[in-house]
Amino acid sequence: METLAAHKPVKVTIVYCASCGYEPYTLDLVSALMKTFLYDLAAIEIIPWQDGAFDVVVNGDMIHSMYRDGGFPANETIIAAVRERLAQ
Amino acid sequence: MAVTRERFEQGLTYDGYKAQMTRNLDRFEENERTLELAADDVQFFKSLPQTVHVLAITEDWCGDAIANLPILGGLAQASDKLNVRVFLRDQNLDLIDQYLKDGQHRSIPVFAFFDEDFRPIGHWIERPASITAMQSEAMAELYATAPELAGVVPGTSPGQLPEAARNRMMQFFGSFRAQHRAEADAEVVRELRELVAAGLSK
Repeated sequence: METLAAHKPVKVTIVYCASCGYEPYTLDLVSALMKTFLYDLAAIEIIPWQDGAFDVVVNGDMIHSMYRDGGFPANETIIAAVRERLAQ
Repeated sequence: MAVTRERFEQGLTYDGYKAQMTRNLDRFEENERTLELAADDVQFFKSLPQTVHVLAITEDWCGDAIANLPILGGLAQASDKLNVRVFLRDQNLDLIDQYLKDGQHRSIPVFAFFDEDFRPIGHWIERPASITAMQSEAMAELYATAPELAGVVPGTSPGQLPEAARNRMMQFFGSFRAQHRAEADAEVVRELRELVAAGLSK
């Protein structure tokens, strides 16, 4: 049985353009985070936005921005960023 | 790859597109019902020397498409000179990839115009540049005056903003379209009119 995590809480925020058809990418990332981290995440926040946005913020740090970096992030990139913060 | 008559005719009619929409049909039809076209603009399209074929690329989840495709539909209906075929972006990547915004974004809607011999006249993407600029100016003013955005650096990701700041910005987005709808529609018609006039005069 999984136990509740004892390390510093990590929160992931996903901002997605709600009028751009980005729901599948958003839900795929959420699913990957849920399956990978179980109880280790304090929260996964999903924010509907517009103008083509797709940002992922982990504990306040921008890990990916569609405007800045282009395209969608690989799930592994976000998972690695979460792991790094869980280990701190 | 050039768009051929055969490829064009594979598209949906305007009414056929509406019939297969799975969301936002109410907003789409509200925009149709409330569209106001200037008589001068209608006359311009009515007076075109030939039927113009218009390839529209869209999706029913796209806000700009919900706003702007009804304008093309209204012009087509009022003028009887625009032969419109509609293609779903995500099922027609061969088409959308010919009309990338800034060479990289699959932005919609796209309206691509062809003369009666299927020579390209020009194409239009997403929304008028002037409306994007107007929204940016209004947003800058919001940053300067809204208490919820005090101290926030413009361009900060919504994911890094306090909830009150995010809510204020969403309120702004909602009211901007409502307040500027007539100007935005007029700008779309003006740009389409200029594009067709310039294209047919070549």
